[in-house]
Amino acid sequence: MKAAAQGGVLVVTRHPQPGRSLARSALDTALATAAFEQPVNLLFLGAGVLQLLPEQDSSGVGVRNLRKVIDSMPLYDMEHCYVDAEAAARAGLTATDLPPGAILVDHKALRALFDNHRHILGF
Amino acid sequence: MLHTLNCSPGHPAVQDCITLLQQEDALLLLGDGVYIALENSQSWQALQASGATLHVLEPDASAAGVKHRLAPCFTLVDDAGFVALSELHAQQMAWY
Amino acid sequence: MTLQYCLLVLTAPASGHTSLTAARFAAALVARGHTLSRVFFLDNGTSNGLATAITPQDERSPQQAWSALADANGTELVLCVSSAVKRGLLDSAEAQRHGFPAATVHPGFTLGGLGLLVEAMQSADRVVTFGAPA
Repeated sequence: MKAAAQGGVLVVTRHPQPGRSLARSALDTALATAAFEQPVNLLFLGAGVLQLLPEQDSSGVGVRNLRKVIDSMPLYDMEHCYVDAEAAARAGLTATDLPPGAILVDHKALRALFDNHRHILGF
Repeated sequence: MLHTLNCSPGHPAVQDCITLLQQEDALLLLGDGVYIALENSQSWQALQASGATLHVLEPDASAAGVKHRLAPCFTLVDDAGFVALSELHAQQMAWY
Repeated sequence: MTLQYCLLVLTAPASGHTSLTAARFAAALVARGHTLSRVFFLDNGTSNGLATAITPQDERSPQQAWSALADANGTELVLCVSSAVKRGLLDSAEAQRHGFPAATVHPGFTLGGLGLLVEAMQSADRVVTFGAPA
């Protein structure tokens, strides 16, 4: 696992998208923090990894395609995101399914990721 | 780290929280989370095994009727006690 | 030691009493000598600022709890503007812009961007988030 930014904010996103707007709010918060040039990392944890399913077409439900926003993160200076490796495996997500710059984190390394940040936001 | 857990026993957030919970941490149950502390529920055993200090928010425990049925590993805290926990721990993670 | 706090509220008054818990936590931290310059309400949390929400007489009003805090300590209560307008929470400028006759945001609250959360986190020693199951 690559070193997380020391200090800064860890945004933890744990809820899948279509049912709850929290996933979108977590992403907006991470992107806004990056836009203000503050160190920030995003972690998809537990059921939050379901936001990464690649074949999302939300035109039928009339909301924005979250995966497209996630894939655009590098444009906003968020080169990496962290993904709960166990949860990704449970969801059947393979390396090719994940967005560019995704770093898989096993449960042992998760704690170090949390400890490396000054503030944690649980979404 | 201070963990606040606000969901019923069996909710996936409980398992996610247990994954991160360590001995030097404090855990506070609030909202629906207070049911986890029910002595007969057994849901608290994995929390206890972490070695973290375990707390229940008193107004929520009272409201839910679990205040006098808590497993002995839990301590009741009031609002000031909740703040005191946040003073001791620089980070907080909200699980819900 | 005096600590600077920032609170993030993600839960609506209508989905349980967690937003009231957050308001009590805010009052308790101030009572312990800490400072709270801003509370940021995001996502469903923005409903805390809805002026037209009527609380039953035998229940505590979250808006009153929050605005009492703002009045006593000068704490800023900021509703995320994009979450808020989506939920019908409009200040007079937004109401005018979208052609509605009146504001629906309680006067104790203001609308603002996520930058205000970022700024508050930067200077905070403690950030505490309040969320609740849907």
